[in-house]
Amino acid sequence: MIGLWDTTGNEVVKALAAERRSAGGVASGMALSLIVVVDEKRVREAEAAATIATSQHPCRLLMVVRSDFERPINRLDAEIVVGGRLGPCEAVVMRMYGRLALHAESVVMPLLVPDVPVVTWWHGEPPELIANDFLGVVADRRITDTGQADDRISALRQRAADYAPGDTDLAWTRITPWRTLLAGAFDTLDTKVTGATIVAPASDPTAALMSGWLAARLGIQPRLEATADFPRMRSVSLQCANGEVLTLTREDSMATFARTGHAERNLPLVRRPTGEELAEELRRLDSDQIYAEALSAYAGVSDLDGRPHKRVHIWKDPVLASRTPVATPAPAPAASTPEGGSTDG
Amino acid sequence: MGNPLRDPQDRRLPRIPEPCALVIFGVTGDLARKKLLPAVYDLANRGLLPPGFVVLGFARRDWDHGTFEQMAYEHAKAHARTPWREEVWARLAGNLKFVGGAFDDDAAFDTLDRTLDELRDTHGIGGNAAFYFSIPPAAFPTVLKQLARTGMADNEKCGGWRRVVVEKPFGTDLSSAKALNDLVDDVFTGQDVFRIDHYLGKETVQNIMALRFANSLFEPVWNSKYVDSVQITMAEDVGIGTRAGFYDATGTARDVLQNHLLQLLALVAMEEPTSFDASEIRAEKLKVLRAISLPKDIHEGSVRGQYLQGWVAGERAKGYLDEEGVPEDSTTETYVAVRLGIQNRRWAGVPFYIRAGKRLPRRVTEVAVLFKKAPHLPFNPTDVEALGHNQLVIRVQPDEGVVLKFGSKVPGTTMELRDIAMDFQYGEAFTEQSPEAYERLVLDVLIGDRTLFPDAAEVEQSWQVIDPMEEAWQGTKPEPYRSGEWGPRAADEMLAREGRHWRRA
Repeated sequence: MIGLWDTTGNEVVKALAAERRSAGGVASGMALSLIVVVDEKRVREAEAAATIATSQHPCRLLMVVRSDFERPINRLDAEIVVGGRLGPCEAVVMRMYGRLALHAESVVMPLLVPDVPVVTWWHGEPPELIANDFLGVVADRRITDTGQADDRISALRQRAADYAPGDTDLAWTRITPWRTLLAGAFDTLDTKVTGATIVAPASDPTAALMSGWLAARLGIQPRLEATADFPRMRSVSLQCANGEVLTLTREDSMATFARTGHAERNLPLVRRPTGEELAEELRRLDSDQIYAEALSAYAGVSDLDGRPHKRVHIWKDPVLASRTPVATPAPAPAASTPEGGSTDG
Repeated sequence: MGNPLRDPQDRRLPRIPEPCALVIFGVTGDLARKKLLPAVYDLANRGLLPPGFVVLGFARRDWDHGTFEQMAYEHAKAHARTPWREEVWARLAGNLKFVGGAFDDDAAFDTLDRTLDELRDTHGIGGNAAFYFSIPPAAFPTVLKQLARTGMADNEKCGGWRRVVVEKPFGTDLSSAKALNDLVDDVFTGQDVFRIDHYLGKETVQNIMALRFANSLFEPVWNSKYVDSVQITMAEDVGIGTRAGFYDATGTARDVLQNHLLQLLALVAMEEPTSFDASEIRAEKLKVLRAISLPKDIHEGSVRGQYLQGWVAGERAKGYLDEEGVPEDSTTETYVAVRLGIQNRRWAGVPFYIRAGKRLPRRVTEVAVLFKKAPHLPFNPTDVEALGHNQLVIRVQPDEGVVLKFGSKVPGTTMELRDIAMDFQYGEAFTEQSPEAYERLVLDVLIGDRTLFPDAAEVEQSWQVIDPMEEAWQGTKPEPYRSGEWGPRAADEMLAREGRHWRRA
């Protein structure tokens, strides 16, 4: 491990190359670069998740911690870990302060592995507009987590408004085990589904996506039943045309699968650590149309998949934004307006 | 009616079989304990088993369901690839059933039939069952007859699918293989028979097809114009272990050359299939197997070897003849090397050198494609002395991956050229460990995907390659080689005669 204090982007590139060389036997089979955007107080959490994910998908891990935009002095600290603590990956954990924090890409871009996909993951509140964050613009896949937003439902709706193919959200990843069990139940069913009921807390984005998915796939309007008794999605039940009812209910790490006229069955429904969810995201690097359909059905925004894949960076200065709270800058249609050097800091 | 919740684009949802039972004959054997039961756990852990799923064990034991479940628990836990989670096992518990009896015991098979019928209602498995023959081939006919007698193998009578899984050896020569195939195909329908060649379940083997047919870089040079020769190696560092009885009657050629190595050869040499459909791939493999030509003089174009005592991996190893259960005058080979040809436009004139052996220095399986040397080298002859053939090596095990070897300048003031290797390892680029071959293959059987299973015609065609060799070897003695060496000297001489040498794998 190398720690670099008050350093420059070029020093980081050199130190990473030196560390790779001295680690020995590090071949160049890197299949992707993973950028993690995280706040200082959650770095440990993000590292734990990344360690699990990189053990399944070795990659170059670039963790970016940005803070103190208003600080008058720019500063970059970097820590380089090749193998070891963070699993089989090359990791650079960067801390950026001052105006530099608004230009993180100037440090990150030279560190990306040439010509392999880039994935950006925001561990924390998702950005309002991904186009405002260059680290999202440069990525082929963008992973947000509306489960971490203050207002999770409106964050999910914002994801639909801001969607571009290649976006996904960990709230969607979280219901893969649910969807697997439901699809499995359907394999033996040959009747039409007429309705569905989802019991979940009112602010649960996973339940919202579940209802969107069922609506998109089955052409029904699922009923969301709010509950305060359970912290997470509790059950999904489907009413069939022939009167049968299928219900999947979560109990701790098991699910009970009940079907009219059949014995109840217990199936594993394990809550995965964030790292496993992240690993699932890294498995596929193309856009997820099924997610787009579910999101579109839930939020009522159509043709998500027809949007352009590439975003154009829109410059936004958080310092100016906080100084003038009344300013409501409509999303600028024009290309980015990079900050001029003379007005800097 | 298709399942509206499934969509080919929804690749997060795994392929899951229909509700079914997996019936394992010989469930107390090594294969079942070390591979099959752990594979079932791993599949459950990855969420790949249907809601209605039962493992039904059959063996000559006086066990109840609970005893079997306990035994399965212990072995699954000891050999599982994925982390152990009690809640996953809890899902399997209660779905493990046992029927005891001998293979010639009519009553036991009636019980088995009845049990399957009962499970249909109690465990919702429908009429679907896969019968896994983890038993010696000699017992196949008895069990097959029992299955036919009780009607358990009959798809229509059962109202679902009934599949059978057989392990190698698929016979001992062409006629016995034919007899076995006829018998199996007679009881089950041909398309419900799954022959397991676990090599085909390995990621790299499947990657041979991806490498060849998804890239434009390799196909143009994949022919006799550019390829000098192909070497296929399957080396094991272990001896025959406790399998003396089986091995001495079989030998390396029948044990691994007939199946694993010829399948590897077929995948490397076959033409592009029209689609990735199982029948298209089988058609292409069969074509290339048919085109295989044996050396004109089998004695000159093949070498058999038998290991003597020696040292392997820092431990003293016994000679083959000293192994327990091997007759003193045994002439069974533990090493075989052969030069095959392929009679078609793509490969005419390119030798395929194939070798397999036990007690070699290390465990490795690989396919090396050696390209011709550049027609002209505009360098000083002394500068290119260390330059060999360009090579593309597909490493099947261990460290699955692909290596490309080519010449490069040694840094410095002189124009000195040397071979370097560009190494791609699966583990490095994708994932720490790929699924165990059995995990993949058991899942494919339950789903009904036949892509990775050789069919009867391929098996029979492979015997057509082996039989003439076995015939020629009658009455000859294998060449001795010391344990821990790369086979007998004669194998090196065989290549040296043609101006080549074995790659150190």
